[in-house]
Amino acid sequence: MIAFVVRRVVGAIPLLLFVSFVSYALMGLAPGGPAAIFAEQARAMSPSARAAFVASLGLDKPWYVQYLFWLKELLLHGSLGSSYVDGRPVVLRIAEKMPVTLELIGLSLLVTLAIAIPLGVAAATRRNGAFDVGITALAFVAYGIPVFWLGIVLVDVFAVQLRWFPASGIASLGHAGDPLDRLWHLALPVATLSIVGFASWMRYQRGAMLDVLGQPFIRTARSKGLAERAVIYRHALRNALIPIVTLLGLSLPALVGGAYFVEYVFSVPGMGYLGLNAVFQRDYPTVMGITLLSAVLVIAGNLLADVGYVLLDPRVRYE
Amino acid sequence: MIAFLRRFARERPAVGGLVLLALIVAAALIGPLLWAHSPTAIDHADLGAPLPPSAAHPLGTDVLGRDQLARALQGARVSLTVGVTAMLVAIVVGSLYGAIAGFAGGRSGGLMMRFVDAMLSFPTFFLIITVEALTNRFSLLVIVLVIGLLSWMGVARLVRGEVLTLREREFVEAARAIGASPARIVLRHLLPNSLGPIVVAGALAIGDNILVEAGLSYLGLGVQVPTASWGNMLQDALGPTAIGAPWLVAVPGALIILTLLGFNLVGDGLRVAFEGSA
Repeated sequence: MIAFVVRRVVGAIPLLLFVSFVSYALMGLAPGGPAAIFAEQARAMSPSARAAFVASLGLDKPWYVQYLFWLKELLLHGSLGSSYVDGRPVVLRIAEKMPVTLELIGLSLLVTLAIAIPLGVAAATRRNGAFDVGITALAFVAYGIPVFWLGIVLVDVFAVQLRWFPASGIASLGHAGDPLDRLWHLALPVATLSIVGFASWMRYQRGAMLDVLGQPFIRTARSKGLAERAVIYRHALRNALIPIVTLLGLSLPALVGGAYFVEYVFSVPGMGYLGLNAVFQRDYPTVMGITLLSAVLVIAGNLLADVGYVLLDPRVRYE
Repeated sequence: MIAFLRRFARERPAVGGLVLLALIVAAALIGPLLWAHSPTAIDHADLGAPLPPSAAHPLGTDVLGRDQLARALQGARVSLTVGVTAMLVAIVVGSLYGAIAGFAGGRSGGLMMRFVDAMLSFPTFFLIITVEALTNRFSLLVIVLVIGLLSWMGVARLVRGEVLTLREREFVEAARAIGASPARIVLRHLLPNSLGPIVVAGALAIGDNILVEAGLSYLGLGVQVPTASWGNMLQDALGPTAIGAPWLVAVPGALIILTLLGFNLVGDGLRVAFEGSA
């Protein structure tokens, strides 16, 4: 098991190198690269002072030289450079924002699964009944809702009209650090992600459940006189959860992307809010940092899902 | 083919989805010809105060006094065009890539799929936003290429899986035996036989692309005003000047949801119909 994890972690290194290289190349080759931006900002300086300033940031070198320098800094000092906007280390800027994003992703995944799994099971056990048809129809509609649109609608109804929840931010004035206040602020963002997310999970769970319910061991369990509840929950559900775990890993890129969008809509100060604003401000070091850490998040999620899969299903062997 | 159509016709939700899509496509094609209002004409008398739906403007007007029905119809053309063409880009690139990787097999095929893994570890939507913001060009062509070229990886995996099983079949061996070139085997034998999953992925991809375009336009990185897309209609509608005008939010939102519903129902029906033939 440990060998398997180690091999996967080592295997992730070329992926991350690729991601960082491509991102750097994109930014280096884009029109209006960082050097041009700085030259613009430093217009008041004399030409020689401006050249010295640009050179002090290493921006006079071709982008691939800058990339190697960036990589060396990362490997030797664990540094991702400093933000062009406020000059603070990117690692620090992201480290401040990461907990909120992880909290948002974790909470919405929890809520989504808590809704989707029972609904999926209920739909599968009442296959083609009114409940199944209704909930499947609902899932098909929910699947097409744009995340930001739903966010705005929820804000309008629950924050502006009803005033039940705050419309944006993560803490009330003077309540920083109060966990209940934080949850209250995260309620609408989490609801947005969960409503959009429940559709595909419900469908997966229903499908997985139907697959399992068709298998011989379920007939055996029924024929030995087990109560239907026990058949469904103890025998069928346990096995139907296994494919869901792999999907958890595969769904991570979409989940991270959705969370970033929701953060932007609700002004939740997480990685997505930071990242999107960095994109708009052309704060390249921050964009690089966010891209790289998002890739780490995606790869780590995949690995966790694979490990979970192996732990849950004794038939699967990691070769 | 007829058996396939019959199986598809038995899927009632899918047929409903097809009817829904036919209505939306017809509205996009014919609507702008029938509805005389311009989608971009600014009515200075109504500037700043969006008008609720009325006989003159069945879907109301926006903050600049532009007719919402005309904008929704133009938006339908734009959103569908982006959705379909970006899907075509992704399907062509993904199918060819996956088919070549599957047909080549061995080390080079494996290496090709490692590249797909690497592309998939990008947070795709963030990457699309970054690329759009960096290129700073928002013509339809650029938007289509960016969405299409960053979303072909799933199709590549799918097609490679199909090709890996197909290439061991007798008819491929027969083609090889009579001296067909690898290109001919991929294009004439392997890809046509993987058509089912490709078509299903295509139907679902159109919907996803429409969502991505809406998201980009909402951030101001997609289709640029005055040309309407459902996404930038929402961007306009969500600004502070549009408060108290729920029709501005509801119309583009409902159109996006209905269109996605249509494509997802049809995609699902196609999947069921293709599975029946396998």
